[in-house]
Amino acid sequence: MTVASVLVVGGGPAGLAAAARLAESGVAVDLVELRPALGGAFHRRPIDGVAPWPVGREGAKRWARLTDDLRRPRIRIRLRTAFLGLDGSGAALLDDLAAGRVEALRPDAIVVATGAVERVRPRPGWELPGVSTAGGLQMAMKETGRIPEGRILLAGNGPLLVALAGQMIAADRPPVALVEAGDPIRHPIAGLGLLAHPRPLLEASGHVLRIFAGRLPWRRATTVERIEAVGTALAVTLRDRAGRAETIEVDRVALHDGLLSNDHGLPEVDDGAPGRPIVARAGDCREVLGVAAAEIDGHRAAEEVVARLAGAPGADAAAARRLAHERHAQQVLARVFAPARLPVPVERLPRETVLCRCEGRTVGDLVDLVDGADAPGGREIKLSGRFAMGLCQGRFCAHWVAEAAAGLRPDAPAPLSGDLTGRRWPARPVSVAAVVASALPPER
Amino acid sequence: MSAPTILWNGRPVPFRPGESIGTALGAAGVVAFGHDPAGRATRWFCGVGACQSCLVRVGDRLVEACLTPASDGLVVVSADREPEAAR
Amino acid sequence: MVSDVVAPPELRVAVVGAGIVGVSTAWFLRRAGADVRLVEARAPASAATGSADGAVSVASKRPGAMMNAALAGLRLYRELAEAGILDGLFTTRSTFLVAVGEAEAAVLDAQAERLASVGVEIERLSAARLRTIAPALSGDTAGAVEVRGEGHAIGYDITRRLIRTGGLKVDRDLVVRSLRRGSDGRVVGLDTDRGPIAADVVVVAAGGGSSALLGLDGVLRARRGQLLVTERGPGLSAGLPGAIMSARYLLAKANANGAEPVSSRGYGLVIDPLRTGQFLVGGTRENDADRAVADLEAIAHVLADAVALVPGLAGLRLLRTFAGLRTAVRDGLPLVGRIPGAGDLWVATGFEGDGICLGPLMGRAVADAILGRHGDLDLAPFDPARFVSGRIAA
Repeated sequence: MTVASVLVVGGGPAGLAAAARLAESGVAVDLVELRPALGGAFHRRPIDGVAPWPVGREGAKRWARLTDDLRRPRIRIRLRTAFLGLDGSGAALLDDLAAGRVEALRPDAIVVATGAVERVRPRPGWELPGVSTAGGLQMAMKETGRIPEGRILLAGNGPLLVALAGQMIAADRPPVALVEAGDPIRHPIAGLGLLAHPRPLLEASGHVLRIFAGRLPWRRATTVERIEAVGTALAVTLRDRAGRAETIEVDRVALHDGLLSNDHGLPEVDDGAPGRPIVARAGDCREVLGVAAAEIDGHRAAEEVVARLAGAPGADAAAARRLAHERHAQQVLARVFAPARLPVPVERLPRETVLCRCEGRTVGDLVDLVDGADAPGGREIKLSGRFAMGLCQGRFCAHWVAEAAAGLRPDAPAPLSGDLTGRRWPARPVSVAAVVASALPPER
Repeated sequence: MSAPTILWNGRPVPFRPGESIGTALGAAGVVAFGHDPAGRATRWFCGVGACQSCLVRVGDRLVEACLTPASDGLVVVSADREPEAAR
Repeated sequence: MVSDVVAPPELRVAVVGAGIVGVSTAWFLRRAGADVRLVEARAPASAATGSADGAVSVASKRPGAMMNAALAGLRLYRELAEAGILDGLFTTRSTFLVAVGEAEAAVLDAQAERLASVGVEIERLSAARLRTIAPALSGDTAGAVEVRGEGHAIGYDITRRLIRTGGLKVDRDLVVRSLRRGSDGRVVGLDTDRGPIAADVVVVAAGGGSSALLGLDGVLRARRGQLLVTERGPGLSAGLPGAIMSARYLLAKANANGAEPVSSRGYGLVIDPLRTGQFLVGGTRENDADRAVADLEAIAHVLADAVALVPGLAGLRLLRTFAGLRTAVRDGLPLVGRIPGAGDLWVATGFEGDGICLGPLMGRAVADAILGRHGDLDLAPFDPARFVSGRIAA
């Protein structure tokens, strides 16, 4: 009897949970992870000799559980390996970064568990050196145990910023200020919903207490209007709820406006036509519900794949209930952190505001492109406007460009973010030499 | 034994084993990484290999600084420098 | 360049297909004052036009109808660029036909003779001279022929510019179910999935979709071409003064003696340095392909050939792959002209890999013919009557 083979893409909680459950079901698993270590974003591993970043008691237990379960036979872990997507022949393409070689696999199924990417609202100056995502700053901290030197401003929207501020205070390197578009402590009624979620509530309260105890300037209902380079420093202009502007000087700015599924260019959920694998998704890349949900969803996706390999539908009511609980927590948090004022629509930002960093395309370029008798669709905006056409393939701009184009041309069908990104391999740039070095295994 | 270093645009930058080029540069106070071949400023941004903002040149290739492990003596230059500069 | 013929007042023309051919036809008709409806099943340039290599080139052509058309197509691009209409979108540069080994050198020499015989400006380059002007090329090259005055135009950019400058409005996502006909069998408009469109003249420029509308079973076929684009390599780009075309493709063509390729997947090689500093590399020519998705086997093959000719490409990253299904005609010549016995029903399709080069030219030719103006281009070799002979009217 041939053992079914499944490719799991992503070594975060969803991918690890899926791999373990699949192996337990007797399936041969290839688990690929882009980075040199497993862990994903939440459980990012530190380098040798550095203590792991505190992830709470529950987090520590989760990590122990995920890695214990991984010590099963039939799981082949491949680090520093990128998934490039499915090609026209149905092969799953892997880029082995260490070997410098692309390889084609023909698994029976694929579980895509590539997590989330951050949403960063465009603002004049967001493309400057010294500006990173808040998650990007947090990743560097978790990996090295160090917080970069200099004055750091955290800004944007959402609970991740509060957690990061709390962690920085705990490490004795508080940010200069935390700028938050919402006003979370003004929503006690909405916040009551969190009582159903003791774990995130406890975590959030810990961070909030640290923020108050550390006397960190917490500018709520305030937004970053623009960032300018002043020598090696950054001048950040804030606008508060009363419309007052204030400029502060810092060395680094970490921006964050929420999370999006990291599924750019990756195959959609698919039942698997002849010669093509079944495709399932797990964790934040299916629906952004956070780390606890990712583990549940990894197990769920594994069971779904096992069922579908056997020709049965793969619905799991218990997992669906637990995921609904996590979804409720996210919905409550979204209400608590709702921006106090409607953000300025992207299309009304100053013309020179960069939308697509890779190709340097601006709000003004988009306004000019969509103007005229004929309103271009999403793919035309990409091709002729070069929006989402650069190296990151639209991961950071496609949704804003689509939103802005819809705002500029309410008379035309709204373009979709996916029209701009497309789903063609390679999902990320790959070395020409590595492609040349590839060799197809025999057809299955 | 002295700490291992990478050579960044000709100057030694120390790193700790297991660290990426990107965090080593960050720890050394290198905020601006130069420019990419399109002329866009490069810098640490997403930290998860998604944004292509932190490209640097190693040998004749452009690589993501946040994904690429540092190694002792590795020659790394800004992405807009020609391959000869990285030899 | 722009026809001075004026359309009869209120002449209603429906153009089916917003690829480069349909959009060009609509542009010239609109310029002449016709009332043009441009109907597109998906979006402008969403099929072959949007996945073409953009060559506006005669370098690989043999003397004959297609060579004459390509030369005229090239002239029209120059005129449209000079008139400002395609300003910035049409790049002129040489094509370098490059030979490796004696067999390729011989076929290259023969091609140089042919090109010179029809007045194309060429120069034969020794291996040493080639290394001076194209230092990025591999040292293995035996020599080259520089074909001057060739051009490059990106299909979707040309299409978008013509839509804008022509003041055209595209009916997107509008599927034409069938042609509407009067009791005498003459075409009177279109039946679409959003209702009928009345028209005095119908032009079908719908690529592979033209078959079903016109009942041309067995005449058209889809040929897939796979291509790729790399990231920017400004240093490498500076070492390539134009498009590089491998003479191996000419050799394969010569060996095939004009017959259709037997193998289902043929490989050619063109490396085109783009204005952005990126490289467009192609590609395949495949029969019996249905999915417009590239595969690793083909892309790796094309890249291996490309790296052999331009070794520096190995240091770049592959950014995008794409595949286009190009519409080809059974006898290798496009289908351009009036469909016999169906009133004012016209077709313009089947350009295979020459759609970008010939699109504006054929658009103008069809517009001229509809308006009764005798254009410069002889459309007789492309006359659809060779396949239809009144069958459609029945």
